[in-house]
Amino acid sequence: MKRETVWGGPLPRARVRLYVRKMYRLPVYRLLLIVLGLPTAVMVAVKHLFFSNFTAYGAMKQELEEEYRASGLLEKLTEQAILSERNKARFLKRADAEERLIARAGKIARRKYEQAFRQELELRMKREGVRPPHLIDTYLEWIDHGLFFAVSVVTSLPMYLLIWIYSMPYAKYISERLFMMVFVMIGVFVLVFTILYLSPMDPARNILGANATPEKVAEFKRMYGLDKSYLAQLWNTGKKFLTFELGTSYVGNEDIAAALGRRFPITVQLSLAAMLVSIAIAIPSGIISAIKQYSAFDYIFMLIALLGLSIPNFWLGLILILNFSIRLGLLPAMYDAANLATLIMPAIVLGTGLSASVARMTRSSMLEVKNSDYVLTARAKGLSEGRVISRHILGNAMIPIVTVIGLQFGGILGGSAATEKVFNVNGLGKYIVDKQFIPDIPVVLAGVVYVAIVISVVNLLVDILYAFLDPRIKSSLKNY
Amino acid sequence: MDDNRRKTEYLKKLESKKLKRSQEYKTLSFSMGISLIFSLVFAFFGYSFITGEIHAVPLLLAAAFLAEGLFQWLLLSRLRAQILRAGTVSRAVRLSGILLIAFIATGNVFAAAAGFTLIKRWRPLEYTMTVYAAITTVLVMLVSALNLFKDYVSNYFLPGMALLAALIVLYLLALLCIHCWEREGTVSKKLLPVGILLILTAATGNIFALLAGLLILSHYRHQGQERSIEWIDIVDRLFRNNMAVVGMLVVIFLLSLSIASTLTFDYGIAIDNDYSALLQPISLEYPFGTDNYGRCVFTRIVFGARISLIVGLCVTIIPTVIGGILGAAAGYFGNRTDNTIMRLLDVLYAVPDILLAIAIIAAFGANLVDLVIALSIGSVAVYARTVRATVLGLASSEFVEAARASGAGDWNIIFRHIIPNSMAPIIVRMTMGIGTAVLSTSSLSYLGLGVEPYIPEWGNILKIGSQYLETQPHLAIFPGLAIIILVLAFNFFGDGLRDALDPKLK
Repeated sequence: MKRETVWGGPLPRARVRLYVRKMYRLPVYRLLLIVLGLPTAVMVAVKHLFFSNFTAYGAMKQELEEEYRASGLLEKLTEQAILSERNKARFLKRADAEERLIARAGKIARRKYEQAFRQELELRMKREGVRPPHLIDTYLEWIDHGLFFAVSVVTSLPMYLLIWIYSMPYAKYISERLFMMVFVMIGVFVLVFTILYLSPMDPARNILGANATPEKVAEFKRMYGLDKSYLAQLWNTGKKFLTFELGTSYVGNEDIAAALGRRFPITVQLSLAAMLVSIAIAIPSGIISAIKQYSAFDYIFMLIALLGLSIPNFWLGLILILNFSIRLGLLPAMYDAANLATLIMPAIVLGTGLSASVARMTRSSMLEVKNSDYVLTARAKGLSEGRVISRHILGNAMIPIVTVIGLQFGGILGGSAATEKVFNVNGLGKYIVDKQFIPDIPVVLAGVVYVAIVISVVNLLVDILYAFLDPRIKSSLKNY
Repeated sequence: MDDNRRKTEYLKKLESKKLKRSQEYKTLSFSMGISLIFSLVFAFFGYSFITGEIHAVPLLLAAAFLAEGLFQWLLLSRLRAQILRAGTVSRAVRLSGILLIAFIATGNVFAAAAGFTLIKRWRPLEYTMTVYAAITTVLVMLVSALNLFKDYVSNYFLPGMALLAALIVLYLLALLCIHCWEREGTVSKKLLPVGILLILTAATGNIFALLAGLLILSHYRHQGQERSIEWIDIVDRLFRNNMAVVGMLVVIFLLSLSIASTLTFDYGIAIDNDYSALLQPISLEYPFGTDNYGRCVFTRIVFGARISLIVGLCVTIIPTVIGGILGAAAGYFGNRTDNTIMRLLDVLYAVPDILLAIAIIAAFGANLVDLVIALSIGSVAVYARTVRATVLGLASSEFVEAARASGAGDWNIIFRHIIPNSMAPIIVRMTMGIGTAVLSTSSLSYLGLGVEPYIPEWGNILKIGSQYLETQPHLAIFPGLAIIILVLAFNFFGDGLRDALDPKLK
C-alpha cells in the first residue's frame, strides 16, 4: 500500500489525467510534454483550434457579445467618460486639445466596457457550469477517448515515460536533480572554457620558444584547432569531453584522458583517507563538546578546532615533514603509491582542516536538538543516557553533519593541490598546477571541469541519500 | 548528606556567578592564563627537545612571563577573596595594577590590559578602548624598535618612532582626561576635543582610538538619556568576550604596524638582495633569519602583513558587494529572477574555489590583481547564497510589508530596510571570509600562482623557506605562524562578533 504511493504502480487513465493536469501548470514540464509528445500535441492543437468555438463556451461568448452590442453600453460609457474628462480638465485648469481628450475618454470607456463584459461572462459561466476551453482540457478530453489514447501511446511513448517518471516521487526527484546537474555541468564547461579562451597568454610562443617563425606558430594553432572561431572551438571541445577523447597535451604529447585517469584514483584515495581521519577525530569530540557544553573540554576542544581551521594545510605538512621525517625519521616524507605509510601524513594534514569544521558542525547541530521535547520524552521513558545520545540526539543531528562532510569532500578533492605539492603526491591537483604554468590549456580545462563534475555527482549522491534516510524529506516527497 | 552536597554545589555556583560579574576578575584570570601559556610557548621555542639546542632570548622571555604569571596568580587569589568577602576591591590591589601595566615592557599586553582594568573602579567603554589603543601603539613601537639592532634603519625611522611615542603620550593623557572629566552618566564638554583628537589618530590604523573617540562623542550627545544605543551595546558585548578582544587586538595591531612600517621599516631590506648575509641564523639583527637572497625575513613578514590585509579585505568586499546585490535581488524579487540568478550562480558554486582561481590565473597570469579577481569570483556564489537566505526571511516580514503599504519602491525597500537588517550575518561571514582569503592567498602563492615572487607575501616567504626545511626550518616556521595568527585572529573576532550581534544565538 505504502509502496505503491511512493513508487507508483501501473498507470490507469485517471492517474494520467491527474499528472498531465499537474505537469501542464509548470512551464518546463509543459514544454517537455509538448516536445516529447509532439504527435499528440499536434493532434490536440488541431482539434483545439478547429473545434473549441463550437463548445458551450464559444456559444455563450458570442451570445453575450451580441447582447452587449445591442444594449449600447459602449456609447453610454463613452459619453460619461467624455463628460468626466471635461470636468477634470476644467477643474485642473488645463486646456487640452479636443481630439486628444476624446481619444483618452474613448480608451477609458473601452477598458470599462471590456471589464464589465468579462465580469458578466464569468458570472454566467459560473452559473451555467461552463469553463473556457484551454489546451489542457482538449488534452484531457482526448485521453478519455479510448481510441485516441491508444494511438497517442503508440505515437508518443516518450511523453508517457515522462508522465510515468513524474508519477513516482523518488524517480521524479532524482531525475529533476540530474536534469539540473546536467545544466550546471554544461555551464561549468562553458565558463572554464571561456576563461581559458580569453587568455591573453600565448602557449604556442611559450612552447615553441620566443624565436619561432610565424609559420610554425600558425601550424601549432592549426594542429590544436586554435585558429577556429570561439563557437567552433567550444563545440569541438564539448564533443571531446562527452566522448572522453581529450586529445594530447601541448607539452610531452601525453594522452590527457589516460593521464587524468592515472592520477584521479590517487587523489580520491587521499581524500577518502583524509575523510576517515577527520571523522574519527571530529565526531567523537564534537559529541563530547556538545554533551558537556561550557565545560573545560568544550572550550579547549573548540579552541583547537578554530586553530585547525586557521592552519594552512601546506604549512602543517611542512612542519610534520620537519619533525617526523627529517628530525625523528619515523615516516617517509615523499608519497609512494606502493607504501601505505606514506599516506599517513598527507591524510592527517588534509583531515585536520576538515575535522575542525565537522567538529564545529557536530557540536552546534547536536546542541540544537539536545533540548528538544522528544529527547526529554526519550529520557522520561527511562532510556539509558547512551541510547538517548546515540539514537535520539545524534540520529537527528546527523543530517547537517553529513552535508558538511559531503561538501568538504568536494573541498578536499578540489583543494588538495598544495598538500599534494608538499608531499609530492602525483594527484590531480598537482598535475593541474604543474601544467598551468605553460599554460597547457586542454589539461587545465579537462582537470578543472572533471573535478567539478565529480564533486557535483558526490553532492547529488549525498542529497539523494538524504531523500531515502531523512523521514522529514521522505514525507514531504510524498506530496511532491 | 545529599542535601549537604547540593548546598555546597549551589554555593559554588553562586560564587562563580559573583566572580564572573566582576570584569576585573575575568580579565585578570584570562591574562594570567595567557601569560602562563606564553611562557610555555617561549620555553618550547627556547629549548628544542629533538636537537637539544638552547636559545637565550626565548628562555629569558619564558622566565619573565612565568614570573609575571605567578605574580598575577597571587594578585588573583587576593582579588578573589576580596570580591567574595567584601564585594569590593581594596586600594592596595587596585594600585598593584600599575605593576601589571609595567609588564608591557616584556611585551605582555594582556597583563597591561588587566592592570588598566584593575586601577580604575568605574570604567566607561571609551576608557577601555583608549587603553587598547595605547597598548596597540606600544606593541607597534616595540616591534619597530627591533630595527635598532640592524646596521642601518629607514630614513624616517626617528620621526616615525617619535610619532609613535607622541601617540602613546596622547593616549595616556586621554585616559587621564577621561578619568577626570567623565563621571557616571555625565560627560564634560572639555572632553570633546579629546574625542576628536582620538578620531584623528585613527589615521594610523588604530581602530580602537576611532571607537574611543566615537564613543566619547556619542556619550556626550546622549548624556542624561536612558535609552541604549545599538552599536554601543554591540561594542560592549564584544568587549566582554576575551577571545574576541584578542582577535581584534591582533588585527588592529597588524593594521597599525603595516601603516607605521612605511616610516619605521626600510622596504629595501625586505626586497633588495644582500649576498653578504645569505641564510643567516636567528639573531637580534635578523630576528627570523635571512633567506637565500639575504633578505631579512622579519622585515619581509612585517611588509607581508600589508599585502595579506589588502588582499583579504578586497577578496571579501568585492564578492560581498556583487554577491550581495545578486542575492538580494534573488531573494527579494523571487520567482523567475531568483531562479535565473541562483541557477547561474550554481555553476560558479560547482567549481571549487582554488581550481577556479587556478584556471583564471592560468589564463591571465600570476599577479596581485589577477589573484584578487580570481579569489573574488570564486566566492561570489557563497555570499549571494548567504544574502539570499537572509533576505528571503526578511522580505515577508511585517516591517517590509508596512514600508510597501506606505508606498516605498522596491529598491528603496531593499536599500533602506532589507540591507541594514540583514547586515549581521553578512558581517560575520565577511570577518571569517578574510581569514579564508588570507589562507587561499598564501596557498596559491606557495604554489607559485599568487603574487610575484619578489613581493614579500607570506606564502612567497614560506615557499622559499620550504626549500631550506632541513637546514633552516625557521624560514618556514615563522611566516606560517604569522598566517595562523592573522587567520586565527579573524576567526576569534568573527566568532565574538557573531555572539555580540545576535545575543539570541548564544
